[in-house]
Amino acid sequence: MASVALLSCLTNPVSAQNRTITGKVTNELGIPLVASITVSGDSKIGTSSNENGDFTISIPQNSSYLMVSSLGYETKTVAITGNSVNIQLKANADFNLDEVVVVGYGTQRKGDLTAPISTVNMQDMAKRTVSNPMDALQGAVTGVQIVSSGAPGSTPSVRVRGVGSFNNESPLYVVDGMFMDNIDFLNPNDIADISILKDASGAAIYGVRAANGVILVTTKKGSLNMKSRVTYNGFAGFQTPTNMLKMANAQQYAHYATATGNGAFVKNSVEKFGGTETNPAMDTDWFNELLRSKALITNHNVDVMGGSEKISYAFGLNYVKQEGIMDAKNNNQKFNMRMQADAKVTDWLKVGFMAHLNNFKSYHPDNAAFRQAYFASPLYPVYDPSLELAKPEKFGSSTAIGMQSGFWYNNPVATAFYRNNQTRGFQILPSFYVEAELWKDKITFKSQLSQRYQSTHNIGYNPIYYIDNDQRNDRSFLRSAQARNNNYILDNLLTYKDGAGKHHWTVLLGQSSREERWRETWVQANDVPESEEFWYVGVGAQGIGSATGYGERGSRNAGISYFTRGTYDYDNKYLLTATFRADGSSKYQTKWGYFPSVGLGWVLTKEKFMENQTLFNQLKIRGSWGKLGNDGIQPNAGYATVYSGNNFSGIFGSEGTTNGTRIPGYRVGRFFSQVRWEVVEEWDGGLDFALLNNRLSGTVDYYHRTTHDLAFSRPIPFSWDRVYGNWGSVANSGWEVGLQWKDKIGALGYAIAGNVTTLKNTVKNLGGLENIMNGYPEWSAEFPARIQINEPINYYYGYEVAGVYQNQAQIDADPIASAYNKQNPNSPIVPGYFQYKDQNNNGELDENDRINLGNYLPKITYGFNLAFDYKKFDMSIAFQGVSGNKIHNLNRAMRRKYNQMNVDAAFVENLWTGEGTSNTHPSAAGSVASWNLQASSFFVESGAYLRVQNIQLGYNFDFPKLPTRIFVTADRPFIFTKYNGFTPEVSEMGFDANVYPIASTYSLGVKVSF
Amino acid sequence: MNTFKYILIASCIAVPLSMSSCKKFLDKPLENQQRSEEIDYSNTALMYGPVSGVYRSAADDNLVHWIDLSIRCMRDDDYLQAAPNPNDNPELMAIKNFQNDVTVQSYWGLNQSWISYYSLVIAVNNALIELDNFAAKIPASNTKDLILNKQYKAEVRFLRAYAHLMASRLFGNVPILIDSENIGRLATIEKSTAAEVRQFIMAEMNECIEDLEDARPNQSIHIGAVTKYTALLLKAKAAADLAGNDNGSPHWEEVLDATNKIIASNKFSLYPNYYELFKIPGKLANESLFELQYSDFGLSTGDIVRPGVDWGTFFKWQGPSGDQKGSPISGAGWVPPSQDIVDFLTNRGDNERLKTTILYCGINGNPATSATTPSGDVVYGNPFGVKYFNGKAYLPKAQMTAGRMEYGANNNVRILRYADVLLLNAEAKVRKGQNGDEPFRLVRERAKLGAISNVTLNQILDERRAEFACEWWGERFNDLVRTGKAKDVFGAKFIPGMSESLPIPQTQIDANPNFR
Repeated sequence: MASVALLSCLTNPVSAQNRTITGKVTNELGIPLVASITVSGDSKIGTSSNENGDFTISIPQNSSYLMVSSLGYETKTVAITGNSVNIQLKANADFNLDEVVVVGYGTQRKGDLTAPISTVNMQDMAKRTVSNPMDALQGAVTGVQIVSSGAPGSTPSVRVRGVGSFNNESPLYVVDGMFMDNIDFLNPNDIADISILKDASGAAIYGVRAANGVILVTTKKGSLNMKSRVTYNGFAGFQTPTNMLKMANAQQYAHYATATGNGAFVKNSVEKFGGTETNPAMDTDWFNELLRSKALITNHNVDVMGGSEKISYAFGLNYVKQEGIMDAKNNNQKFNMRMQADAKVTDWLKVGFMAHLNNFKSYHPDNAAFRQAYFASPLYPVYDPSLELAKPEKFGSSTAIGMQSGFWYNNPVATAFYRNNQTRGFQILPSFYVEAELWKDKITFKSQLSQRYQSTHNIGYNPIYYIDNDQRNDRSFLRSAQARNNNYILDNLLTYKDGAGKHHWTVLLGQSSREERWRETWVQANDVPESEEFWYVGVGAQGIGSATGYGERGSRNAGISYFTRGTYDYDNKYLLTATFRADGSSKYQTKWGYFPSVGLGWVLTKEKFMENQTLFNQLKIRGSWGKLGNDGIQPNAGYATVYSGNNFSGIFGSEGTTNGTRIPGYRVGRFFSQVRWEVVEEWDGGLDFALLNNRLSGTVDYYHRTTHDLAFSRPIPFSWDRVYGNWGSVANSGWEVGLQWKDKIGALGYAIAGNVTTLKNTVKNLGGLENIMNGYPEWSAEFPARIQINEPINYYYGYEVAGVYQNQAQIDADPIASAYNKQNPNSPIVPGYFQYKDQNNNGELDENDRINLGNYLPKITYGFNLAFDYKKFDMSIAFQGVSGNKIHNLNRAMRRKYNQMNVDAAFVENLWTGEGTSNTHPSAAGSVASWNLQASSFFVESGAYLRVQNIQLGYNFDFPKLPTRIFVTADRPFIFTKYNGFTPEVSEMGFDANVYPIASTYSLGVKVSF
Repeated sequence: MNTFKYILIASCIAVPLSMSSCKKFLDKPLENQQRSEEIDYSNTALMYGPVSGVYRSAADDNLVHWIDLSIRCMRDDDYLQAAPNPNDNPELMAIKNFQNDVTVQSYWGLNQSWISYYSLVIAVNNALIELDNFAAKIPASNTKDLILNKQYKAEVRFLRAYAHLMASRLFGNVPILIDSENIGRLATIEKSTAAEVRQFIMAEMNECIEDLEDARPNQSIHIGAVTKYTALLLKAKAAADLAGNDNGSPHWEEVLDATNKIIASNKFSLYPNYYELFKIPGKLANESLFELQYSDFGLSTGDIVRPGVDWGTFFKWQGPSGDQKGSPISGAGWVPPSQDIVDFLTNRGDNERLKTTILYCGINGNPATSATTPSGDVVYGNPFGVKYFNGKAYLPKAQMTAGRMEYGANNNVRILRYADVLLLNAEAKVRKGQNGDEPFRLVRERAKLGAISNVTLNQILDERRAEFACEWWGERFNDLVRTGKAKDVFGAKFIPGMSESLPIPQTQIDANPNFR
């Protein structure tokens, strides 16, 4: 109080031209704040608000803005529009108990939370030069693993606390109240706030959609009494391939091919393109040919926001363009517009409107080109003018050196070049709400209608071209598909907040209905001219492109939910949160599901016995339990489905020169079961703490999630068909630790933050089955992944390589090898072949010698970053990594079918070449023998990596009224990994059949606001 | 103002209640997916639907899958190798060498073969349930439809039996799967012996023969459907397998009886032109007992029903590899014929069959040279050193529908022919000490070869090889096995008692431990 009085004394004497302004300062929860208020541009004129938040200030007539600041809150500049002004301050993103956190259907004071809700540091996020907002969170949040893909416009795979489902691992995204499957459409700059609900206490309010965690996204909004602000933020830069996979060059390949009995190709290449058989002249580096060394990325944003006493608004425009690093038609563009307006109609009624308009256009690359580039022999050229028939481009063919043609041998550059697959579309997300304060500061009713209209048009066009017998297209082909998404959610929320003495409580009652519809219509035709303006199907269209096929698909789901949340605290010391949601869904035979949760918290630092210690500024213990649902599983009919139409009708009467015709037929899918959603039961215990004068803060959590009614397709013996049902359960558990240290030494401020998440995944029940075989499509028979009780999900299953037979004596002494050689004298095991471990010591290699070779889920996911600021400079560096996971190097394993393919340089350099040369790699000849191409530990490699995720250096200019920051960024510049592939980021089950590699981005950016 | 507040409170309570009363909101069937209960089983006009669906299953993939084709062919000495480059898919060479270990057992192709045959079996079982549903709605007075119902069931049961025969010829002891509704049963069913499988086939055919149409397939109401005679031939084939090389086996009587019935019907005759038999004019000829039918409907583009996936159709898979300079007479070049079969046909002066079976591609396959087919198409050599392609899979450009570029498009896949009936009949007669000259003469005459009197067993087996050379059903290998000649032909690598069958795929054993 004394300081307030002192401040008041400093204020200037009231002059004749001055006017008096009165007002009130509160935080987002409406709690009054003591704040200092000065006239913008003249800090000599100032005052403070009292404990009720009220203040009076006398200011010159020509002053139009006030600066309001309070410890722990963001400083705000407010326009003076009348004689009274209400100011709401936003809590600082740093550790602050009064910080308001967005939770499901509301907000809560951070100090009162019983759930470990991660909020994303938007400042750090803004440093990342990525086009997809989720990519920017990689390594930044505990409990969240993000696997990126390099293809522009692709959706990264996001896993919150492990994998508890075979169906849908992705969390639910709630963007300003609308449920979304991803937030690819957003520009990182659209976002004001992200909260990640990981445990039951936080997420169960989203019921049947919450099992994979919930990511709440709030986009930028203006606030009342806010000075209008215009901000430009943008960067331009280039992406360049990183961690390039070095393939065997011509010399290495020639040597290898000769050793594996493929010397004819070398001879043919030398004959045609020159050089010698040990050093052929033709040496094509296919990855180099396929990739661009510099691909553009640029992002521009303009934000305008502000607010008067009754109306607040925001308007945003942004544009991002990202070229792919594959040298082909391959890019992604997004143009977004965002509008928001809130109006206080009366002192108890508020209405608001918000709309996102997205325009997007992508050219999708043919990722098969990456696989083909791994396969392609360096001994033939990208372009070969000697091929008479090649048209329109003179692309080279593997047949020129006597190699086969067909998918695996296709010219990768041609595959990329002749691809034209584009999607354009738009999306409108309008939402409208009414909020009535029925009882001042106590009861509020809010009703919000959120909608989503999306329309996309996908065009795929194959031009006429010829390279060889197989890589050719004799007739042009057009497929044009249009799809509409049409969703809505109607939420009705009644919030009651009250207290008596030291008791505080809130009650939320809510009801929500939603519907999701999707429908796609497609047509296709041959002989459509090559110019894009003629890409129409139908009679009367250009060319003779009448439809050769058309069809429609669609889906429709509806849901109704009722939910409630109660919170109670005593003196902000003992905390209780309980939620309950009842969800009705049209997707399943069982219509209704019930999802309760309870969370408890105890703030120890508020206790008497902690009063005299100075170490802890804050210490809180939390615990929660609850149930969450996953309805990301296929809608189920619960009945035998009939398949009929042209594709299920037999041909009859195809006799001599008479053309056969169809007799209408049908097939019935008999394998079905009644499916319902999966239920996750989650326990969480945690600590939040701040110590050493708030310099060190952090959270520690232990989580244990069990998915019951785990839904998956059980393979049916005898057929490719699988039957889908709730067959088992799986558990995920682990620790999450986040720490932050922040301090200042003189003018040098610095912060260090780190986070670690551990994960243990165990299959608990498989509905009576011993195990289930799984794997990468079309390779699951040879290189299976297996699901077995008490083991992690989908581990690689095969033989353990004990070493390499160094000489014949070893082979003769080994019962497995000698028995095999007796049986197979035509293809015996020779030195340079793998020695597999006889796990059951029965002297023969059999099915029981196969073991768990590791799993694709990282045991540890971590990130850490350092930030400094010194005077006008600031710098930050962020690291991110995973460890304990394995990757199945399918690129090398595919040699089992196609042994002429090229191979990475590390492979040929490490081959066994004689006694004692290698105990890990087979000989060249052995590397193509079936014996060495069994599923084994040789193909399973560590997927651990550490990456320098982001380095940014910024400089702030103090232009009067035009604060400007320029920054240079290196995004994902370095990676440290032992994995023998382009990138250790392999999504799904970790089978690497060549993925679109991740690029490094170097850029220059600027941010200006006024 | 307060009134307005009360309206709001009232509505916020009323809205949720009104929504919950709309129970229909959640009762939404899946879009665009018909329930089987919605089929009108009393409408017998729909009764052929499930049967047509099974024929389509067989034709789509189940009997013509490219890798299954390659595996089946590999064991015949009629074929050189699998891929144009013998190192590709090395397991196929291992199969050719009768390797029988874990490297073969984990091969995906074997799993595909297994699944191909049994998917057809399951499709049949499902169709039989449909036909039962129709039967339940047919009044007892409506004998015509009841007879048709039985006939339709017999048609699909033939396909089920045929799939079992193919599975057993490849894998030996295999399960007999006649009920597949219960998934649990699929994971526990036991294997039957190869002999039990053949007995099952014969028993099934005995029942089907009664119910099937007494017509040639191309006379059937559903032109090309299987008839009584198709079932008789399948029974004869199963019986011949059972009889083995034992002339005293009572099964020879069954072979003789079944083939005699087909011959005595006087409905069948050999197509006079052996070369054209495998081309468009020979589709569903009077010689055909079972054929998979396809069509491009005479359209130059668009709608087409083909054997297998577009890049690996039954025909395309066997089409000439190498640079064919844009000609439609081209393909992946798999399963090329062996020098052995060329020499065999050449040495016996079997020119008609040589011309039909072998498609030449230049001088010894040299890519700088080319050969012209009897139908006038030019086929170039290739860099793989492959000298011949399968002429029975060849469809001349002039016979293709104008505008189509896909090798073999619009041709049918021949499976069972009357020539097989005649040769089995001759064999049964000779084995039973009777004279087999007459049926034998017919087969040779069509191939423009002179008659032989007092034909011997060996002559019949040689004739079988020549007649069915490079046809795709493993007939040659089966003949060698059932006559005990396999070891003479293949040498030491063929171990009797072991090399006759391939191991059941590891993935199938993993899914059903009873297959161990």
